[in-house]
Formats: sequence, structure tokens, C-alpha cells
Amino acid sequence: MPQFESHFFSSLIFWEVVSFGILLFILYKYAFPGILSVLEEREKKIKDSLDQAERHRSEAESRLKDYEAKLSAAGKEAEAILAAAKERAQRLLDENEQRLTADAERIKGDATREIEQERRKALQDIRTQTTELALMVAEKVVQRSLTEADQRKFADEALEALSRSQQR
Amino acid sequence: MEESPLHQFELQNWIPISLGGLDISINKAVVFMWIVVLVAAVLMVMAGSARKLVPGKLQSLAEMMVDFIRSMILDTMGKEGMRFFPLVATLFVFILLSNLIGLIPGSYTVTSQIIVTAVFSFVVYGLSLVMGFMLHGAKFLGILVPPGTPGWLVPLMIPIEIISQVARPVSLAVRLFANMTAGHVMLAVLFSLTIGGGLLIGWLPFAFTVAIYGLEFGIAFIQAYIFSILTCVYLGDAFHLHGHDEHAH
Repeated sequence: MPQFESHFFSSLIFWEVVSFGILLFILYKYAFPGILSVLEEREKKIKDSLDQAERHRSEAESRLKDYEAKLSAAGKEAEAILAAAKERAQRLLDENEQRLTADAERIKGDATREIEQERRKALQDIRTQTTELALMVAEKVVQRSLTEADQRKFADEALEALSRSQQR
Repeated sequence: MEESPLHQFELQNWIPISLGGLDISINKAVVFMWIVVLVAAVLMVMAGSARKLVPGKLQSLAEMMVDFIRSMILDTMGKEGMRFFPLVATLFVFILLSNLIGLIPGSYTVTSQIIVTAVFSFVVYGLSLVMGFMLHGAKFLGILVPPGTPGWLVPLMIPIEIISQVARPVSLAVRLFANMTAGHVMLAVLFSLTIGGGLLIGWLPFAFTVAIYGLEFGIAFIQAYIFSILTCVYLGDAFHLHGHDEHAH
């Protein structure tokens, strides 16, 4: 085999060592540090990005929880406000009704009382006028033949009769 | 075409040079070493100076390779193995590019020279021995007695382990050389059959040539990978004697 011709060995060994040495030096000096540092940088960057994404996610989650809590609190509050408003409206309605009823009651009472008063007054007037009239008539009829007491007695009897007829 | 399939491995001194009695003449293999070094240096330096966070094609490729070798070292040697990263990565690049450039018709496969692969393997193995004795002193000889060996087996185990240790650099060198040589010989034989067979039957070996060529392309990668990972394993053995010291994983 041509590969075992030993008179090429010395030059092959020499140039292999030299070439490999040069390549090792060049790569060690100019290629590997750059590539390795980029790899490390990228690893770090990816790790950072993942960390950051994780952080953002948990932040968003907690914010979502916040919002949900706020939303449900707002819902409850709205419900409470609505209930309070309803209650107040009901109360106002009731109050108004009561007041109106009371007013009506009062007005009715007043009117009844006034009517009663007027009636009494009218009765009184009629009584006095009738009495006077009867007296006048009686005086004319009897012409002083009667005493004061007799006059009153007759008058009362007349009034009695009058009021009885009136009550019917 | 009565050319020998081994003809492609023959070398001629193109420019005879002598350095203090040492023959360092330039031949085809030497020129292709330079080409490999040039291509490797240009590609890797370009990739290394791009340094973009979002890499281009070349940078991705170089990064993929560097990352691949880095994880290989971390898996076999652990974090302190990273000091051998330049050596292992350069070996990988050199061998891979030698294999690939050798596949170009008319070129020369540097790694098909036994002496080239032997230099690499003996340097690697020698380095592992030096590292082992530096780190563990005389205790490193314990590598010849695997843990758990019964006492009466020790006299038997030591010669066996010596043989297995010696086999390491030899097999490392021969594996790469033989793979490259065999592949190229096979391609040469198949191609000469294609030429000799003519149109009538020549298409059959030609189809095989194409298939084997694709296979050789894969072998170029696999052999570079095997050489580098065995380098890592041997250096790792020197680090972690019997794999049970503090770095064991």
C-alpha cells in the first residue's frame, strides 16, 4: 500500500504538526472565543427571555385575579346600590301613601266637624228664632195673661214638639 | 483503465525540501493539509467574527458544530474537560474537512494516510497518559486494574489491560485510516468497473458508485465524530480514574 511508504512519513509528520498547530492557534485565538461567547450569550438571552416571560405571565395572572375580584366587588356594590334604591323608593311610596291617607283622613275629619258645627249652629239659630217667634205669637194670643213661667213652659213644649218633628 | 485502485494514494515529492537532514518535501498530501487548514480557518474565523444573536447560515453551522463538541466534552469529561475544547474541536474540524475535501474527485484525502491519523491518535493518547500521571501520580497505574477485580485475577488482568491500552491509539489511528482508504478504494474499483463495463452493464456499478459516494459522505462525518468522542473518552479516563472520583457522573 502506498500509505506505508515510509520515506514520506517525515514530511507528512512535520507538515501535519505545523498545519495542525497553526489551525489550532488560529481557531483558539480567533474563532472559538467568538462562537462560544455567542452561544453563551444566546443561552443567557433565551434563559432571561424565558424568565421574563414567566414573570410577565404571573404578573398578568395576578392582575387578572385583581380585576376579577374588582369586577365581582363592583357587581356586588351595584346590587347593593340597586337594592338600597328599591328599598328607598318603596319607603317613599309607603310614606307618601300614608301621608296622603292621613291628609285625606284629616280633611274628611275637618269637614265632618265643620259640617257638624254648622249644623249645631243652624239648629241653635232655628231654636232661638222659633222661640222668639213662638213667644211673639203667644204674647199676641194670650196678651199678658200668662206669667213668665207659663210662657217658658209653653215655649219648651212647643220646641219639644218641633225637635221631634224635625228628628223624623 | 488498468490503473490500480490504490494509485490514488500514491505521493510524489513535488518540491523537495530538507530541514537539517529531515525530508520535509511538499507533496499532494501536504498541499491538501494546507487547503484543509485554510478552509477551516477561513470558515471558522468568519463564523466566529459574525457574532450575531440571530445567526446566519455559516454562523449557525459553526455554532451547531461547536455546541455539538461542547456537549460531547461535557458529557464525557464534565466541565473541567472544557480546557481541551480547542484541541478536540480543532481535531474534529481538521478531520471532518480532510474527509470531506477528500471526497472531491481529484483531490487527496489527508486522513487516508496512516501516519497522519497515527500522529493524531498518539498525540491524544500521549496527552491522556501525561494528564493521568499529572493528576493521579503513580495511582494512575491503577487504570490497569479495573475496580472490583478479585485479587487472584490481578496478574491476569494487568497484561490484558496493557493490551487494551496499547490497542487504544492503534485502533484510533487504524479506524480512521482504514475507513477512508477502504471507501476510496471501493469508489475507485466501482468506477473502473463502470468504465470497463461500458454502456451495457456499466450503469450498475455506476449506481453503486453514487450510493457509496453518499455513504462516504456520511462516513466522513461519522469518523470525525468517532475520533473526537474517543479523544474525549480517553482524556476523560485520565481525569476520572475508574470514574469514581468527585467528578464522576
